Amino acid sequence: MGKKTKQIAIYGKGGIGKSTTTSNISAALVEAGYKVMQFGCDPKADSTNTLRGGEYIPSVLDLLRENSRVDAHDAIFQGFRGVYCVEAGGPQPGVGCAGRGIITAVQLLKQQDIFEELDLDYVIFDVLGDVVCGGFAVPVREGIAEHVFTISSADFMAIYAANNLFRGIQTYSNKGGALLGGVIANSINTDFHREIIDDFVEKTQTQVVEYVPRSLTVTQAELQGKTTIEAAPHSEQAGIYRRLAKRIAGHTESKVPSPLDAKELRAWSAGWADQLIEIERRSERLVANA
Amino acid sequence: MPINLKTAVVETREQRLGTIIGWDGKASDLSHESAYARGGCASKCGPKARRICELRGPFTQGSICSEQMVECQAGNVRDAVLIQHSPIGCGAGQVIYNSIFRNGLAMRGLPVQNLHLISTNLREKDMVFGGIAKLEQTIRDAWERHHPKAIFIGTSCATGIIGDDVESVATALEAELGIPVIPLHCEGFKSKHWSTGFDATQHGILRQIVRKNPEKKQEDLVNVINLWGSDVFSPILGELGLRVNYVVDMATVDELAQMSEAAATVGFCYTLSSYLAAGLEQEFGVPEVKAPMPYGFAGTDAWLREIARVTNREGKAEDYIRNEHARVKPKLAELREKLKGKKGYVATGSAYAHGLIGVLRELGVEVDGSLVFHHDPVYDSQDPREDSLAHLIDQYGEVDNFTVGNRQQYQFFALLQRVKPDFIIIRHNGLAPLAARLGIPAIPLGDEHHAVGYQGMLNLGESILDVLAHKKYHQDLAAHTKLPYKKWWLDQKDPFLFARSV
Repeated sequence: MGKKTKQIAIYGKGGIGKSTTTSNISAALVEAGYKVMQFGCDPKADSTNTLRGGEYIPSVLDLLRENSRVDAHDAIFQGFRGVYCVEAGGPQPGVGCAGRGIITAVQLLKQQDIFEELDLDYVIFDVLGDVVCGGFAVPVREGIAEHVFTISSADFMAIYAANNLFRGIQTYSNKGGALLGGVIANSINTDFHREIIDDFVEKTQTQVVEYVPRSLTVTQAELQGKTTIEAAPHSEQAGIYRRLAKRIAGHTESKVPSPLDAKELRAWSAGWADQLIEIERRSERLVANA
Repeated sequence: MPINLKTAVVETREQRLGTIIGWDGKASDLSHESAYARGGCASKCGPKARRICELRGPFTQGSICSEQMVECQAGNVRDAVLIQHSPIGCGAGQVIYNSIFRNGLAMRGLPVQNLHLISTNLREKDMVFGGIAKLEQTIRDAWERHHPKAIFIGTSCATGIIGDDVESVATALEAELGIPVIPLHCEGFKSKHWSTGFDATQHGILRQIVRKNPEKKQEDLVNVINLWGSDVFSPILGELGLRVNYVVDMATVDELAQMSEAAATVGFCYTLSSYLAAGLEQEFGVPEVKAPMPYGFAGTDAWLREIARVTNREGKAEDYIRNEHARVKPKLAELREKLKGKKGYVATGSAYAHGLIGVLRELGVEVDGSLVFHHDPVYDSQDPREDSLAHLIDQYGEVDNFTVGNRQQYQFFALLQRVKPDFIIIRHNGLAPLAARLGIPAIPLGDEHHAVGYQGMLNLGESILDVLAHKKYHQDLAAHTKLPYKKWWLDQKDPFLFARSV
């Protein structure tokens, strides 16, 4: 006891590979000998599946639905190499309030002093990035995560979402909440993807923590209900996840993000669109000339 | 660790203590099912498991919520302001709480003033866009208008659902204004019993007002956790050479801050004092006096002796106890004569009722039924010397019809029919009108200290005689009024029929 638990939040828009990346970071950190908890903050409650052989675990809110009193220990399950897995859970789509669900679940674990009791080195919150209400911002508020990372691909919609997230993070960063550690660039397979992301982080005065390529190894591992670290420990992709985890573990200095405003974002993406069209044309000409 | 001050949000009473709001049976059975009787739970359930089988009804007629308890505690700190971060409806209680506050100040001989409560008046667009800007403005307005020594912020169901980040505004404004700005999380939906609101206020005070690492210790100061009651503790504790620091209601912010300097903490009711007293002991080393509450001879004797022991004043306590016994007993004998054959019914808060039933038994009044609004199977200190229900049963015997219910009028009819008392004792609104229509007068103990200590037995005896003098009036009321329930319901013997048929 006594050491400070490092708390990290990872945000990204739905379907971007957030849980995949987070689970691989958690797996790499436990593999390196740290005590880690992954806390899924998505009503779907599937953040930690690949840490537990594809198995769903009862969420904190499942327990709350059935009992008037909840012992937080009942919501904690161990997975790959002892990693602690918790899912906040939440209501069915279209009913109730998923945001309140996250507030309730996070408070419950904090009130029962779980993070300190388990003597954790890392708590990683995997949060649905469509921060539609105050509840989804709970992990980045004062006293919870200190560093927040966003996951984005080079797809414009993903970058818009990341920029939107920066706005939310900015609100809390200025009030003593989490600061932005950087962007985890996911599904980056070409130089062109890399250039788009690099330009975005430059414009928003942040950094890319790691470039993670799209890889069939990841898909194969997920189909087995495993992280890449577990299923293909010697693969190149596992090496990339380990490097990412190491960067995140060693990361200390985060900043208040500087999101682009709507006009800037439009101008920025229009500029890239022109370049894209230019590249398309050139390749068409090449085909025509051939 | 029983109390966790690291997080801004208080743990609810049901989560900490296993609090229930529905139960019906013999007092001894409830005592037996509670944590004290069972001892430490040796199995895997751990220290937090205090499960009592609870009756859960499908219908609630009327109640109170945690937020209102914040209003009547944090809202009653004399040089502070309470902001209700809520739609305006949550402020509906301000009128009644203001009258109670003013009466209390007058009873205590303090300058009479109005409550300083401000609502942020959240509306549709605040729900959509967030209420934080309005809260910030309201804190500034509160500062401009009142220059308070502290600002409390009571949250509401609305802000809890939208997830308004009250903490960050409070932190920023606390730094800017240089006074404690204290968020109190009291969303009504969070707890099934309003007493969580007491805990929410006390949690905030422990975290942000009580002086940390006090330079001096006030060896003759005793924190008395109470409400608005008259000053009966100063004369009693004065006999031991002790001064009283009344908290939370009608205290100043500095009086709250100095709690950590006191020699001990006592209360008149463990429902109210449990959290704050345990927190003061755990965080600041101020011992909580762990004894039966000061009601009746045995309780008052033990309570005084424990205070004397904790503050090293044993000799003085024995003199006082002897003198008071000698003074009170002849008068009590007269009262017992006059009250012979009378039957009373107590319908109050939980631990308080345990004390009052004891006082009635000292007066020779029969009590075979009582309604308490909730039951805590254990208090925060978890010390068996505080087991107020067991003390009642051990000293004064069984209460055959002991009911836990959160003040439901529709159940109250059957409860009274079961035992047919000559009078009832209440502190909360909503029950006396029903009793009156059955010809039963009520003693409203507005001054919660009325029955405390040796003199308290005489006080309550006199109040019973007073109220029995209204018997004819109540009989007339009963003859000319009817109850708003159907005959079918009035014919039911079981007040928990709905709960049992779910």
